[in-house]
Amino acid sequence: MKLEKIIKELNLRIISAANNDIEIINGNIGDLLSEVMRTAKPDSVWITYQTHQNIVAVAEVVGIKAIIIPYGLHYSEDTVEKAREHGVYLLESDETAFAVSGKLYGLIS
Amino acid sequence: MQNDVEKLVDMLSKVFSNTKIKEIMTKPPIVVTQETKIKYVKDIMRIKGISGMPVIAPGFKLVGIISIEDIIRVFENGSFDDRVNKWMTPDPVYLKEDEMLLHFLQVNEDLKYGRYPVVNNDHKVVGVVTKLDILSWMFKKLGYIYVHDERREKALNKKYMSTITGELLDKEGVDFTYKIDYDSVEMIGAAATRLKRFLKERKIQEDIIRKISIATYEAEANVVIHSGSTGNIYCWIKQDHIKVLIEDFGKGIEDLEQAMKEGFTTAPDNIKEKGFGAGMGLPNMKRFSDRMTIVSSIGKGVKVEILYYIK
Repeated sequence: MKLEKIIKELNLRIISAANNDIEIINGNIGDLLSEVMRTAKPDSVWITYQTHQNIVAVAEVVGIKAIIIPYGLHYSEDTVEKAREHGVYLLESDETAFAVSGKLYGLIS
Repeated sequence: MQNDVEKLVDMLSKVFSNTKIKEIMTKPPIVVTQETKIKYVKDIMRIKGISGMPVIAPGFKLVGIISIEDIIRVFENGSFDDRVNKWMTPDPVYLKEDEMLLHFLQVNEDLKYGRYPVVNNDHKVVGVVTKLDILSWMFKKLGYIYVHDERREKALNKKYMSTITGELLDKEGVDFTYKIDYDSVEMIGAAATRLKRFLKERKIQEDIIRKISIATYEAEANVVIHSGSTGNIYCWIKQDHIKVLIEDFGKGIEDLEQAMKEGFTTAPDNIKEKGFGAGMGLPNMKRFSDRMTIVSSIGKGVKVEILYYIK
């Protein structure tokens, strides 16, 4: 599904945008960076509680196109800056990680 | 004059009685197994420039030794497809790593072999010691003579000998290099993402770039989080493969076998809070590479070499 559509369907807030026309075919959840590196697929979305700037490097290396953090969390400034540099979408949700991932799974599968 | 010589010998024996074999031995040791074919043994001897190797059973237990003299006997009477166990000397003379140097001299006085395997308390091979090792060490201690050693040349960072293919790689003629001279966690990924961009420019296959980036990221993270020093990344693009070397000059890995285990980490808590330290770094490097070697010992840094085949 197109990332644009996902953002609309899940009511996500765009904190940092990048190339608009991305087809998302997979998703991943996790806060252990090495585990995400091991299991994430290219052209995917990543749901996490981590908000520090390393998530951008991880995303770029593994081909994650967008990161979603759940209700109550906010990205640090460094993270936003890095995301702009590397072309990674940073998105915020007002729902729990559980809800977002459930809905995302329904949309993509 | 006689007095001076006696004084010197006295002094030297004191040093020799106080120095342990483990301080002088070459480690990690190059070893072979009993099932290895002789043709591979001779290749290793040629590439590494050594004249003999300990033979081990699973678990690094010492079972024999094979030398260039044995290879000559194979050449005269056997086949290079024979296996090591047919030609090795079983139950070789060995030394223990905690023994004093004086013991080596006493053993060698009678036997005079070219090299001796060194074992730990569990009878596992941990190193090899030769007369040349002792001489080099002595000269360095005495400060009289500089012993020319090709390994020193490489230690001056001009060349690197691949532990995977044995070829000598020129660090100055490398295709890509990046210095890891930061120690803040936030910077992890700088080298890996730069390498990724470089490989994209060189039109390398997407899936290979991805694997290289992941492995390099993990190696970079290890340098920043664990080494306590700086490091370098080198990448060579050859006709049918890509080699990446990540080396650091830090404290080294105490137990490589343990470090390779999934879930094992020595990362401190503040690092773990950020999602690092899952203990998957080295296993990930292995998983996302076609061939990998890692060479390290305490105080001597870490060298990780990874290889990818390209079509």
